[in-house]
Formats: sequence, structure tokens, C-alpha cells
Amino acid sequence: MSALHRFLRRPEAVAGALILAALFAMAVSAGLLFPGDPQSIAGPALLPPFQDWSLPLGTDRLGRDVLTELFHGARTSLAVGLAAAAAALAVGAVIGTLAGFTGGLTDEVLMRITDAFQTVPSFLLALAFVSVVGPSLGVVVVAIALGTWTGPARVARAEVLSIRERDYVANARVIGMHPLAIAFREVLPNALPPVLALSSVIVAAAILTEAALSFLGLADPNRVTWGGMIAEGRTVLRTAPFLSIVPGIALVLTVLGVYLAGEGIVETTAVRRGLS
Amino acid sequence: MSGFTISRRTMLAGSAMLLASTAMPTLGLAQTPKKGGRLVLAADSEPRNLNPAIVASNGVFFISSKIVETLAEASFDGKDGLAPRLAVGWEGTADGLSVTFKLREGVKWHDGKPFTSADVAFSALQIWKPLQNLGRTVFKDLSTVDTPDDLTAVFKFAKPTPFQLIRNALPALSSVVPKHIYEVGKIEDNPANTAPIGTGPFKFGEYKAGQYYRLTRNSDYWGKDEPYLDEIIYQVLPDRTSAASALEAEEIQLAAFSAVPLADLDRISKVPGLKVITKGYEGLTYQLVVEINHRRKELADVKVRQAIAHAIDKDFVVKTVFLGYAATATGPVPKNDPQFYTADVPTYAFDVAKANALLDEAGYKKGADGNRFSLKLLPAPYFNETKQFGDYLRQALAAIGIDAQLVNNDSAAHIKAVYTDHAFDLAVGPPVFRGDPAISTTILVQSGIPDGVPFSNQGGYKNDALDALIAKASETLDTSARTELYKEFQKEVAADLPLINVAEWSFVSVARDAVGNIANNPRWAVSNWADTYLAG
Repeated sequence: MSALHRFLRRPEAVAGALILAALFAMAVSAGLLFPGDPQSIAGPALLPPFQDWSLPLGTDRLGRDVLTELFHGARTSLAVGLAAAAAALAVGAVIGTLAGFTGGLTDEVLMRITDAFQTVPSFLLALAFVSVVGPSLGVVVVAIALGTWTGPARVARAEVLSIRERDYVANARVIGMHPLAIAFREVLPNALPPVLALSSVIVAAAILTEAALSFLGLADPNRVTWGGMIAEGRTVLRTAPFLSIVPGIALVLTVLGVYLAGEGIVETTAVRRGLS
Repeated sequence: MSGFTISRRTMLAGSAMLLASTAMPTLGLAQTPKKGGRLVLAADSEPRNLNPAIVASNGVFFISSKIVETLAEASFDGKDGLAPRLAVGWEGTADGLSVTFKLREGVKWHDGKPFTSADVAFSALQIWKPLQNLGRTVFKDLSTVDTPDDLTAVFKFAKPTPFQLIRNALPALSSVVPKHIYEVGKIEDNPANTAPIGTGPFKFGEYKAGQYYRLTRNSDYWGKDEPYLDEIIYQVLPDRTSAASALEAEEIQLAAFSAVPLADLDRISKVPGLKVITKGYEGLTYQLVVEINHRRKELADVKVRQAIAHAIDKDFVVKTVFLGYAATATGPVPKNDPQFYTADVPTYAFDVAKANALLDEAGYKKGADGNRFSLKLLPAPYFNETKQFGDYLRQALAAIGIDAQLVNNDSAAHIKAVYTDHAFDLAVGPPVFRGDPAISTTILVQSGIPDGVPFSNQGGYKNDALDALIAKASETLDTSARTELYKEFQKEVAADLPLINVAEWSFVSVARDAVGNIANNPRWAVSNWADTYLAG
């Protein structure tokens, strides 16, 4: 039975994958379906959803189209979520491998730095970083990665510690390979699967952190974000609750989709590795 | 737990009130004031320095005006729009070099010491002139204050100072603090700055950070039978959406300064037992202004500034951002000012085609991407409305091919970026009109102001003709000639657009029906509330 089959036999994983596919479709088609500035004023302000079919999800306090904003917001959420997770995984894997493979003083120093980062709540770290450097997409990605790279680093180090004692690593040493080459060509690729298993959690957390930062006004104000939409809707929560509910639902579905699909992939690959 | 018991008690009292109000529908404004009771209201900020003589701002006045009184208060029907407080009479000489105040008899400070002209002299010379944010300009030529007797204070000016200006400044700038408390030690570090001592109808009780301010009744107050209330509690509710819920749950009885978001007013006005009041802020007009950095070569061109003015749909802003609770602006003096306003100024109708034509004429053609040039736009973060107008302005500018990039900052960073670092191209600001252009309006356009002075011309604008006009008005003593000069000033500002005035707005109060004598003067929210009462 192929991995795809096993994946397809998990209904929750399929649901997650479908949600993710829809999200990607939204992000990719945003520019085609809703060209131009997503923040342009499209109609009367505070139009409720399902009233006017040219503005199916209604308009916000300035008369901007909620559906357009939702599609363009999906771009930001996905871009930030994936970029931050990729950055966190890359940095974490490299630092974990270096620490685990070199050992000694380097290990001590790198792991104490990791400890230091772990003791600070990652959201506070992101908050502080963005408020000092100033909000822009790149800064938000770095801020989120700053708080999340420690998990992959610890997992990578643990994995590397066991791998570096294997025979093929010893062989590589004997034939005179450079230690860094051994670390990154021989050890890291084999240490990666459990590190990558963290990715779904990290992507989900990154999307949520990005939304929270935007909610607090710490996001690029020239870009539509779901968190920003929720914050904007909060002032009219009693009169126009849909302005917060619509992006809120999108956010919940996205995080759920990423998590379910990620879990599904991890489980199916784990079964495969277990069988082989 | 104490929070719960309070809310349950007020809840019971409130439901009794509700019953009473349905039983007697005529019960309302005509009833006689009742003594006693505790007024609980929402406070959205917690000023640290509560001395209104040093920090003349509405956030401070909101609390401290009940404790520390001014020489006179604004009034709907008084002579020159004033009602006496600590002063009962004021007279200026024709040469503009002296103003005589007759002070009220039998006034005592909260610590029992008598209030005399020495306190007025001390406050004016030691605090208003050197330390107060607004007094620095208005009282800059004040040289001495003579005190021939305990109830007379004569202000002497080194240079002629218009009596009209001094009169208009009284409600906001003339808070009198006790000399015997402030003459010891450094004025800025005096403990009375955080626990003020005054002559007002209420004494400072206590302040719990993040929770409440409590003011208690001053039984020695000079007003006959006043004050009516026993206590005023300012419940700190920083979240704007919670004020509306607290009113509905009868945890608070009053939310002033638009603590209830404008978007909620329509709904809340239909809740039985609550009333929405738009009066009582006539003397506290905020202006929505686009501040311009004239150091940018594009913005130094008056055609570009005119194009921006034509691109802004003021009616849309009033209708959508302010939900109708505002008025469109024509120039630097708000329409509701009875003394200075003139409608006879150049105006800029909403006209995108004309704006585009003006920009083409100025030589900034649209590029391949439809943009002419990029700007940095910094909306002030103090009000929801300023932030929303920032969002709107970005779209309005996009329509004429100007790509505005929004930069959001917190209050401190915004003030530094705009008024010290000048790191902006356009900014959205909410300056306050305080009854006379010389108090806080001319400073927005006049040149030669040092860097770092907030709410002043930091856009590098210099217009010698306008500067000369402002200088001439500041030394013109004749009231009608002075008023004419300020009308000229409005015309000049509207023509050359050192900044763009978009709208003027005030605030809205929401109160339970039981709260009486609301909004009975043009600065009600920041007046002394001696006659405010709770019925039922």
C-alpha cells in the first residue's frame, strides 16, 4: 500500500489537505479574481453579508470588500506561516546539528543560547522585536522564527547525538571527510525527518502568531491580514459582528487544516519508516 | 470579589431606577436636583500627572477639573461666553498691559487654608507662564502679578496682550493651585501633582492604578448647596467596547468623551434607560488635519497640496469615519466657533479629475504602474477615527496616483517621528481648537518653532506673509480688528494649504437617565460638575 493510499484512508488528514488546498487556491487566485488594490473602497460601509451579490461577504467600516480582503489575507497568512516555519526549521536544524555533532564547548554555548531563547515566551519575543524594528512582512517572519527555532534545534541535536555514533559516520571520518561535510552531508539528512515532523505545529503557530501581531497593530498596515481584519472589526463587534467572525473562521480553518494535514503526513511516513 | 458586590448593588439600584422611570415617564429634565449618590463613570486613560496648571489637556481636566478650579469656565449664555468661578470679575485696560481679576470671597482650599490673590499670582508666574504647555505662549509677556489685597490680582504684561485672548484662555489655562503647597521644593516633583489639592467641589480621594480614581464631596465648597454628588468614581476601562457593555449592565452611569464607539451609538440609543448626548463639547473641538512635510519637494508645490485637498471626499469622511458625528472643515478655525470663523475662504471640492490635472500640471506624470510618486503616511494613533482616516486617505491618494505607505506607531513613537525626527511626508493629526486661534492653532503653521514641540508646525513650512499676519494679530488689541486679522489668517491658510483641514468633531456622552444636569456648558466633561446629580 502506498503512502498516498494510507494518507487517503485517514479522513481527518484528507479534510486537512482539502482545507489547505482551498487556502492555496485562495492565495494564488487572489490576484486574478480580485485584481487591483484589495483595500480600495468598493461600496457602502458596513454592508452585511449576503445582501449584495457583488459584495457577497459585505463591507467593512470604510466600505472595503470583505471577500477580497479575505482572499488577499490568505496570501499574507500563508506566506508568513510558511516562511517563518522554513526559517525556524532551517536555523534550528543547523544549530542543532552543529551542537550535537561538535559536542564540547560549542555544544554547551549553542545549547545555553537555545535555553535563553526558550525561557522567553516566544510571543513576547516577537512582540518586542517587531515593536523595536518596525512592522513589515520580513520583520514579522524573523520575529516569529526567533521564538520557534529552539524546538527544531533541540530535536535535531538529540537525533544527531545518536546518529554520530553510527558506523557510517565513523567510516566517513576514516576516509578523511571534513567534519562540517560529515555533519551536513551525512548526519543532517538522516536527522531531518523527526525535525520536519514539527513543521505542521510550527506553521500553525506561526500563522496564529502573525494574526495576533496584526491584531495588536504590529503588522505591515499596507497589507491585508486576517488578524488586522479581526482587530478592525472589534470596534464594531456589537453592530457588525461578521467583520470579526468571517476572518476568525478563516483563521480557525487554516490552523486546523495545517495541523490535520501535517499530522496525517507524519503518521503515514512514520508507519512507512516503521515497516521498512 | 469587591467588584462583584459593587456591580450587584448598582444593578439593584439601577433596576429600581428603571422601574421608577417606566412608572413616571414625565420624570426627566424638569426634576429638582437631588443630593447624595455616587456617580461611576468610564475613564479610558490614566494620566499620571493630575496637575491641570502644568498639563493643560483634556485627559487631565476630565478628572482634575472637579478638584482644581479655574478663574472662569466656559458658558453657553454668559458674557463673552464665560461664567465666573474663582474670579467674579475681570477687566482689561485699553493699552493691553494689565488685566484685573476680582476674586471670589470665602473660598477655602481642601486643607482648610483660605484662597487668596497670592495663590493666583503664584500659579500664573511660577506655573502657567514657565511650565504649562499652553500657558507658555499665551502668558509669555506676563511680567508681574500685583496683589493689592487678598481678593484682587492685577496681571501686568511687558508687551500689549489682547484682552480677548486672555479671556478666551481662562477656561483651559487658568487652573489655580495652592501656593502654600507648591512653594516648597520643585514644582514638577510636588506630591500634589498626583494627589491634587484645590478649591473645587470634590476632593481627591484615592487612585488605584488600572482600577479607579475616587473623588469625594467637598463639604466646604463655596457654591450654595453644591456639590450634589457624594462621590465620583472613574472606573478605568481602557477597552472601548467594554464601556457600552458596562453601561448596559449598569456598572457605570456615564461614559463621556465617546468612550462608547460611534458605531455602537445607534444601537445604544434604543436601550431603555440610556441617553445619548452630543451637547456639552462645543468648547472642545478637535480638528482632523493632514499635516504636510514641506521638506519633500513634491509637497512643497502648492499644486500638489491642492490636488491632495481635492482628492479627499470630506463628506465621505464625515459620513463613514465619523458616522455623521462631525462636520466638514473649511479652514483652521472650526465652523462652530462663534467669534472667529469665516466661510469666506478658498474651498476644495471633491474632484478626482481636477486633482489629477493639477498633478499633471505640476509635472508629476503617472508612471507605467499608474503611480506618480510614493509618500510615507503616519496616522496619529490616539483615536480610532484618525487611524481610519489614515486608511481612507491611502485609498484617496491611490485614486490620484500617489502611492501612500502607511506607517503605524504607538503614541510616543508617533510624536517623536513627526515632531522631532520629521520622518514623515504626510501625517494625520487631531489638534484641538481652544476658543482662540492664538492658543493652539497659529502654532500649527507659523515658522521658527524649535524641533520637538508637539502639535506645532514641524513640517518645515515657512510663509513670511502668514508669519507677519500671525505676529500682527498677536499684538492687535482691538477685538474686532483682531478678529478680522484671524479671518485673513484663515483665508491665507486655506489658499496656501500648509496643512489640510478635513473635518471637525467633538465627543458624545452616553448616560443613564438618572444622571442630571449633563452638558450644561460648552466644556461640560471637563468642568467641575458641582451641579451634577443622580435622580431616583
